[in-house]
Amino acid sequence: MQMAWKEVKKSKMKFLILGSIIFLVSFLTFIISGLANGLSEDNAALIKNLPNGQFYLNEDADQTYNLSKIDEKQQEDLLKKYTDATAISIQMGFVNDADDKQFSVAFVTATDSKLFPNVKENEIVLDSSLKDDGIKVGDILKNNQFSGEFKVKGFTEKQTYSHAPVAFINMKNYQEIYRVMEMQTVFIPGSDAPDSIKGLESFSNKEFLNTIPSYGAEQMSLNMIIWFLVVISGMLFAIFFYMMNVQKIGLYGILKAIGVKTSKLFSMMWYQMLLITVISLLLSVGLSQVFSMVAPSGMPFSLTMQTTLTLSAVFLVIGFIGATISGFQIKKVEPLQAIQQGEM
Amino acid sequence: MAIFEIDEVKKSFKTGDVTEQILKGVDLELKQGEITALVGPSGSGKSTMLTIAAGLQRASGGHVMFDGKDMTQMNQEQIRKIRSSEFGFVFQSAHLVPFLTVEDQLLLMLDVAETKMNKKQQKQEVAKVLDLVGMSHRKDAYPSSLSGGERQRVAIARAIIHQPKMLFADEPTASLDSKRSKEVMEIIRNLTKTLKITTLMVTHDEEMLPYADRIVTMKDGLLA
Ligand SMILES: Nc1ncnc2c1ncn2[C@@H]1O[C@H](COP(=O)(O)OP(=O)(O)O)[C@@H](O)[C@H]1O
Ligand SMILES: [Mg+2]
Repeated sequence: MQMAWKEVKKSKMKFLILGSIIFLVSFLTFIISGLANGLSEDNAALIKNLPNGQFYLNEDADQTYNLSKIDEKQQEDLLKKYTDATAISIQMGFVNDADDKQFSVAFVTATDSKLFPNVKENEIVLDSSLKDDGIKVGDILKNNQFSGEFKVKGFTEKQTYSHAPVAFINMKNYQEIYRVMEMQTVFIPGSDAPDSIKGLESFSNKEFLNTIPSYGAEQMSLNMIIWFLVVISGMLFAIFFYMMNVQKIGLYGILKAIGVKTSKLFSMMWYQMLLITVISLLLSVGLSQVFSMVAPSGMPFSLTMQTTLTLSAVFLVIGFIGATISGFQIKKVEPLQAIQQGEM
Repeated sequence: MAIFEIDEVKKSFKTGDVTEQILKGVDLELKQGEITALVGPSGSGKSTMLTIAAGLQRASGGHVMFDGKDMTQMNQEQIRKIRSSEFGFVFQSAHLVPFLTVEDQLLLMLDVAETKMNKKQQKQEVAKVLDLVGMSHRKDAYPSSLSGGERQRVAIARAIIHQPKMLFADEPTASLDSKRSKEVMEIIRNLTKTLKITTLMVTHDEEMLPYADRIVTMKDGLLA
């Protein structure tokens, strides 16, 4: 494939332009994908951190968890039958510190379970992001619907819900603040969770995420941008190689005339496409990893190597398809055309 | 025996509803090592004749026999193989690969022709042939920095480096001035004579005719 490489060397500018476009588009894709993932974590880490299982909401709840109320008797039966199961309630709310500074949190309470911290009455366990706001273990927090006081017992890592830090509180306190006795949902982890329970509607973890109002919309628009960029880069490949091939029709014709196989012309193009794409992707993978390390901590950004590699593979496939489609011209070129055109 | 035999070759082109008969049954035998010049008025079908013989387009009828085999009966891949290893081409313009140096152009041809040489032998062969066409001093140059005559000499070197049996040349000197044309013709004549290459050459330049062993004239799709 010396010929392919020699062309790249001779027409550096052309390939540099293609390379930088691929680099920019793939970098942008990685960043947006990091944001999408970061926002998703920020929005629903509480749910995403749970093992796979089933959530159950009241059938009449219109698939909205804060309208759902699980009958107390039924909850008791379920928790007895499925020992790993837990009943959970979540509501958005506020806590105030000693200086009366207000923090928005997602209050979460659950029946005894390995999945969540066990919190005694008048205690509170907070997401560690609130440390940045100066809250320490032992601080006293208040809520205007709550007669008592919360004592900060500890922090958990990466427990957020609906873009707010989670505050785990005891069930008794929760019932006082929100004046409800029933829990919103029952979660049964593992694969033995039944598909249907009378009077309840079941949701997989993923389906449950989509009942969080902002979650679906947010993820959908970001994912659309990502796939849009991927498709655009595929088209860029196709268009770029198309233009390059058009310029080279005369050359292809003469090469065919002297007996170069069409397959060799294709591999030449593939080699160039691979070379440019791999270099551009290496650069943007590297840079996006650097970005992910230096991104400000308040920015919801989470980009795993796994994601970047998957997207890179998609870019390679798309580039290959784009280049190959444009390469059909090569197949059509008649040697005679070139000779009769006359150039160099 | 003739190495190359064109037998009752016909060619017609269809443009819209009109079918035009360009070649009306051409017969021609080429003897090994001879240079045959094909002359005739413009539009009489010389290039069409040459490209059919060279396997660059197909005849509508008749036979093209090379080395005892009928090329009109071969498939695309068989014809490609013959073109790459047994034929050489020179055209009005040199058609060099813009991003390859003079030396690389010739190395490429040796690869395409699948000659059984290692890299070192290939380089020696290239040096030898560049010497024959007087281009050794420009072996690292790119086509864009060569003059028209120099390009054409490289094109000739590319056409014969793999020691083809046949050389097809369509007005190889048309883009050159009289002095350069003669130089190029000298080279073609010397090379084909030493290598015993059979040459079919289209020309409309009277000055080139003395270099041919034989002259045939095309008129209205027939050889006179
Ligand atoms: N691919 C083609 N389609 C239609 N007509 C063609 C084609 N090639 C050649 N012709 C016609 O055939 C005639 C002979 O062309 P050509 O062989 O190039 O003549 P010459 O080389 O003797 O000048 C011309 O009238 C030309 O227009
Ligand atoms: Mg002609």
